[in-house]
Amino acid sequence: MEKRTKENSHTVIMIGAGPAALSAAVYTTREDIETLLLEKGVPGGLAAVTDWVDNYPGFPDGLAGLELAGNLQKQAERFGAVIDFGEVTALHDEGEWKHLETTLGDLYARVVLVATGSDYKKLGIPGEAEYYARGVHYCATCDGAFYRDKRLVVVGGGNSAVQEAMFLTRFASHIDLMVRSRMRASDVLQKELQKFVDKGKITVHLATTTDEIIGDKDGKVVQVKGTDTKTGNEVKIDTDGVFVFVGLKPNSEFAGGQLETDELGLIKTDENLMSSMNGVFVAGDIRSHATMQIASAVGEGATAALKSANTSEGHVDVMEEV
Amino acid sequence: MVKNITIFTTKTCAYCPMVKKYLASKGLSYDEVNLDEEPQRQQEALAISGALTVPVTVVTRQDDSQEVVVGYNLAKLAPAIA
Repeated sequence: MEKRTKENSHTVIMIGAGPAALSAAVYTTREDIETLLLEKGVPGGLAAVTDWVDNYPGFPDGLAGLELAGNLQKQAERFGAVIDFGEVTALHDEGEWKHLETTLGDLYARVVLVATGSDYKKLGIPGEAEYYARGVHYCATCDGAFYRDKRLVVVGGGNSAVQEAMFLTRFASHIDLMVRSRMRASDVLQKELQKFVDKGKITVHLATTTDEIIGDKDGKVVQVKGTDTKTGNEVKIDTDGVFVFVGLKPNSEFAGGQLETDELGLIKTDENLMSSMNGVFVAGDIRSHATMQIASAVGEGATAALKSANTSEGHVDVMEEV
Repeated sequence: MVKNITIFTTKTCAYCPMVKKYLASKGLSYDEVNLDEEPQRQQEALAISGALTVPVTVVTRQDDSQEVVVGYNLAKLAPAIA
């Protein structure tokens, strides 16, 4: 373990650099509170790999997720936020200082904001791991371009699945949307989806599980097998690729039981967005009872920054100044 | 020593700008193949990487040996350009 030094100590460390952390960083750095964000993937998180964001206030025509993520990052960096790339593997409470074990070495912070968000869940079915990135994908904006004029299966019935299926029609000749039970996407998205169904671009298979992904002797995905849960009949759909959007898995493993979580693995907080560890705040998708919306994450990031400000040494509670 | 670098990208890929930004921070130039603009080169990207994904970064060294890095993977990219 590396001892605490001036170099490895920070006033605030934010774990993650998605919308929650980036907006929190705008607030802390504008108050001249030194802030380091640690990101293991891409700044902007899942928002950055979302094709189009239509429900973020202030953008009447919507905007690309990548553009929103880029703007959030620019704004945070304009005020002095520093984003470094590394992963936090453990978090320890050492009283006044929080000790973070990371892939960049040991780091210390007076205040920690956990904004690690979530990743897409996997199906856990035969063929999924074998054909990963060679026919099975979790990022439409990254990999969709490889499926021009091909048939695709999209698995899932939530907002992400519907939105990404519609995005993939830019490339694919046809999409089969496999929905385990019923559609859970918002009414607005379902209405949009219906337009693609009417045009024959997307076929929706409700109450259909996805059981296996089949490849040929050349290692290419050629078929998905499922089950119609109403009849019990096997369903076979020929396809060139599969995109999976079946919900979110919280990125809370690093906490290792140090922070109290709910039954889903989301981190519990009090009304000030503070976790069970004093000085460790939580915002965005990783927070228990989060609404999994970018706008909510941004608001929570701002709230956590304001609430945490009086924990940072040498800084007054900004709420008292209002 | 790096002789040249080629990155296969698409317009919507969030990880592609990350690779470009990282290479620029190291003072390295690169050729970019945007597969939205040059879809005929998709098979080339697939043959090189074995994956239907971007970014794919191909680092060619002075001795013409190549290192292929799939995705935004600094653990592989950093030693490849060292």
